[in-house]
Amino acid sequence: MAERPMFEAAGLTKRYEDGVLALDHISFSVQPGEVYAMLGGNGAGKTTTINLFLNFIEPTEGEARIDGIVTHREPLKAKEKIAFVSENVMLYPNFTAMQNLDYFTRLSGRPAPSRSAYREALLRVGLEEEAHGKRLKGFSKGMRQKCGIAIAIMKNAPAILLDEPTSGLDPQAGFEFIGLLRSLRNEGKAILMSTHDIFRAKEVADVVGIMNRGQLVMQRPSGELAGQDMEKLYMQHIAGHTGLAS
Amino acid sequence: MLGTLIVKELKAILASPKFAATFAVCSLLILLSIFIGIREYRTAVRQYDEALQLAAQNVRTQASWMGLTTTTYRMPDPMQIFIPGVNNDIGRLSAINGFEDVKLKNSTYADDPIFALFRSIDFSFIVQVVLSLFAILFTYDAVNGEREGGTLQLTFSNPVPRSAYILAKLAGSWLALVVPLLVPVLLAVLLVMLHGIPLAPDHWARLGFFLLVSLLFFTFFIALGILISTLTRRSATSFLLSLAVWVTLVLIVPRLGVMAAAAADPVPSIAEIEARIDAFAKDRWEGQMKEMEGRWQGRQEAMKGMTKEEREAYEQEKEKEWSNDDEAGRMSVQKDIDTYSTRVNEDLRNRKLNQEHLAFALSRISPASAYQLASMSLAGTGVSLKSRYEDAMREYRTAFTQYVGRKQKETGGQGGFRITVDSQTGFHFSAPRERGTLDVSDLPAFLPPVIRFSETAASAVIDAGLLAVFSLMAFAGAFLAFQRYDVR
Repeated sequence: MAERPMFEAAGLTKRYEDGVLALDHISFSVQPGEVYAMLGGNGAGKTTTINLFLNFIEPTEGEARIDGIVTHREPLKAKEKIAFVSENVMLYPNFTAMQNLDYFTRLSGRPAPSRSAYREALLRVGLEEEAHGKRLKGFSKGMRQKCGIAIAIMKNAPAILLDEPTSGLDPQAGFEFIGLLRSLRNEGKAILMSTHDIFRAKEVADVVGIMNRGQLVMQRPSGELAGQDMEKLYMQHIAGHTGLAS
Repeated sequence: MLGTLIVKELKAILASPKFAATFAVCSLLILLSIFIGIREYRTAVRQYDEALQLAAQNVRTQASWMGLTTTTYRMPDPMQIFIPGVNNDIGRLSAINGFEDVKLKNSTYADDPIFALFRSIDFSFIVQVVLSLFAILFTYDAVNGEREGGTLQLTFSNPVPRSAYILAKLAGSWLALVVPLLVPVLLAVLLVMLHGIPLAPDHWARLGFFLLVSLLFFTFFIALGILISTLTRRSATSFLLSLAVWVTLVLIVPRLGVMAAAAADPVPSIAEIEARIDAFAKDRWEGQMKEMEGRWQGRQEAMKGMTKEEREAYEQEKEKEWSNDDEAGRMSVQKDIDTYSTRVNEDLRNRKLNQEHLAFALSRISPASAYQLASMSLAGTGVSLKSRYEDAMREYRTAFTQYVGRKQKETGGQGGFRITVDSQTGFHFSAPRERGTLDVSDLPAFLPPVIRFSETAASAVIDAGLLAVFSLMAFAGAFLAFQRYDVR
């Protein structure tokens, strides 16, 4: 019997009040221990999909489910099972890394862990110990991103949602980040990631979905993509839907 | 969850650099205002004691019961340290005698107009203007600032109920701003106690209520800041909007209410009323003079053909009768003038009261007005201070004039003015000088009106209730707006 998917989009559609159709009946699922990379340009619908899973907006049609829970019907219950890392992790600049981690961990509904657990989480994401007690106002984007991942780790949610997580990171930080994603996947976490970064997607994703103009135009296991030129494939699908195909 | 959110709000405000600056400014202002208030109160008490002694001495050295005049003074109240209200605007003393109405004169600001120009910084002013502005400055970006900072998204990716979040915003901001401010307030109260200012239990009750009203007022502006931050997407917009609303509520509406009431229900000026009374008095005294002239001519007619001796004998015989007639005429005129003056003043007072009620009703749209009215009611330094003292002084004037009348009778003479008429030189007024001092040991003393907590609380409770309603409305608005707030 197939495992229940951790992320599931079923005919997910979003039309905004101004009439723009941001998502057009997309369906996909992400199993535990699987990384799903949503590729697509600006306006493809990736962030709208994420916002629907977080219940920041409600779908016009269809459902976004997390572990079988429909997000717009039981948002609080669904959010207990999801950890979110945004493109640009913004935390409280006057709080230290440890204070930020403590605050967001408490918000997740988990009983407050020990200080050593926070320390371990921060070390795991590669944040050096001397930075743990420093205020975030002096942190680089990469350091803040690491704090964001640590928050997600501390939440210990079975589903992790990442919105352009490697955007703006230097190659070293990007490499470390991919390693971290792999280890989370190996722990059985289901990871749904939106990205522009074709190469990182190919590197870590188990399934790659290409989105364009609110539609899921291609969805394939990464095993099927081995040896293929991802950039060419991506351009073919984008061009095919934009009329640029030659 | 709620506790976590509240603690975070507390920490976020306490850790912000603007908090330290705000706290330092507020503490300094509060302590300075109380220190100045104590000094002014002690000076006022000293002046009051000296003035009472001087007035008593002045009464003892007067020579005529008829012309006996004393002066009554407003007694300083320790509550003026916290809320001076109109204390410095209205007169401090009034002459008490049988021939002029009670009128408070010599206000502090009349003596030192420079203070009227810039006013002093008192505790109620600090709460009304400075703290309300700080409340707005701390909360205008409570919600939209977090959205702009990106923390709102991360917060709501967790199972956080919106109701808990917005409630924590209010509770956390309230605790972070109110509790630290209680420190200088308590220090200020301690300063008052250390200076030996006599505070009766009644004063403590009024002070406690005043602090409660101040908290309600402060709460309103915290809730208002949060409301504006939930109604706007950008903190720059909410900053400008908050400032505009603050200026309107604190600086414009209170004045506008009074101006609108003055335009809708105009009241004649004091000068106009005085001119009316003077015209009436002049008219009556002229009539009295004509009557006296008539009487004099009649008396001269009656003495026509008499020898000098007969004339002197006749005059001696009639002297008392004529004097009584003249005195009765004078008394009648004075009574008419007094009656007219009372009627005109009563009418003016009623019209002023109507205007006042309208002005208060209109300006109460603003929580700043409600706060000002409540605090002045509690301190007893509101607009009623003047009428309360004038009423008490009028009552005293009645007792005083009755005392003087009784004394006049007891000492045998009318004690009135003597009017002599000479065909060559006309009328002459003179007072029968009684050499030596008058025995005024049993002169009733003026007792300053005492205002009790129950009376002040009764009038303040409406404004306190209004402040509670305003605060609730602002928070309810923020609560409802946030339920549909786009956290992205």
